[in-house]
Amino acid sequence: MAKENAQNLIETSDYIGHHLVNLTFGWCEKTSSWGFANHQQEFFKGLDSACKVSEMGFWSFHLDTIFMSILLGAVVFGFFGLVNRAAKKGVPSKLQNFAEFVHEFIASAVNSGYHGTSKIVGPLAFASCLWIISWNLMDLLPVEMASFFGHFGGGFNYFKILPTADLNAPLALAIVVMILVTYYSVKTHGAGGFLKELFIVPLGPLEFISYVSKHVALALRLYGNLFAGEMIFILIAIMFGQFAMSFSQTLWFLPGLILNLSWALFHILIVALQAYIFMMLTIAYLNLASTKH
Amino acid sequence: MNINATFFAELLAFCIFVFITYRYIWPSMENLLEDRRKEISDGLEAASQSQRKLEEANKESAVILDGAKAEASSLINQANSRADQIVDEAKDQAVEEAKKIKLSAEADIEQSTNKAKDGLRDEVAALVIAGAQKILDKEINAKANKDIIDSLIKKI
Repeated sequence: MAKENAQNLIETSDYIGHHLVNLTFGWCEKTSSWGFANHQQEFFKGLDSACKVSEMGFWSFHLDTIFMSILLGAVVFGFFGLVNRAAKKGVPSKLQNFAEFVHEFIASAVNSGYHGTSKIVGPLAFASCLWIISWNLMDLLPVEMASFFGHFGGGFNYFKILPTADLNAPLALAIVVMILVTYYSVKTHGAGGFLKELFIVPLGPLEFISYVSKHVALALRLYGNLFAGEMIFILIAIMFGQFAMSFSQTLWFLPGLILNLSWALFHILIVALQAYIFMMLTIAYLNLASTKH
Repeated sequence: MNINATFFAELLAFCIFVFITYRYIWPSMENLLEDRRKEISDGLEAASQSQRKLEEANKESAVILDGAKAEASSLINQANSRADQIVDEAKDQAVEEAKKIKLSAEADIEQSTNKAKDGLRDEVAALVIAGAQKILDKEINAKANKDIIDSLIKKI
């Protein structure tokens, strides 16, 4: 019995670990070559490297994150682009109504929160909000689905469909915001004024720490929420896994179902809310940067 | 959780999507909505304007209708008076004609009366002469006593 429990524990931690590893393509020091991390896929034959994910250095790419984020971006922005192109002047179609509703929502947030003159804030808020929502929505798909289709479609053993749960993606967004905030701060206050604000007035270098941390926090807030949400989905999925392991644990099925459903319903809130928060904070930071105070 | 070169790929992708939004989605959406807003306000303006025009036209048509009514009634009055006039004229003419006819008839009658009188006189004269001749028997010459007979005739 104890042995069986230990066995289950190992399988469980393997299961969780499996769902937290990205499909990685990178530079392997050992063999001095580019390739996929060891045993991650069988689809591209001959592209495997001898390195594990943890042995790859900075120069590696999470192909699942990149693929999913670009695919989702293409779908979302393609939708808006096509609706725009098909837009007629008279009575709008239903899709156009929807697109206009989304646009109006974001535009009103920008207009009420941003009082500068930059033309980039609206598009930035629009792109970040919609892209993040499309990422986050992937969290609502069943956790096993990506693995299932990965295996089924020809040999991807690791595939994470949720770009938000990979810190690189939210961090990239936050860094773009940070660069823009810096640019508009310098533009508004001058380089000297900006540096003075960061290091001298009013609390010395504390301002600099808060400046950096607020942008890192922008990324970590988004990442943390979605990562935790994904983790809870994985833990709930283990209940279903128990069901498959032995008949005596069939009872886990029902609570698993109820928990999965209720967490998914609650998670819809997080999906939209985190995207909204990211957008509003972006607008607020840019507003602070481009108005004199 | 490891930060790696994925970050740069995401950075690039985000910049591209922001640019696409900036270039192709956001402004055309703004224009579209602005156009729609303008169109709607124009439409409302046009509607209120046409409402006003309708009211004006109603007023105008009422005025025109009143004028037409007045004109029609004056025409009817005129026509009535003209008809009366024509009837009067016709009456007058008829009376005149009747008078004329009456006069000529009277003249005719007088003439024929005179003629008849003349004829009767002549006949009576002839009868008188014949009677006188019979009475006087051969002695009295018709020519010698012509003056007496003429005076007799005149008396008749």
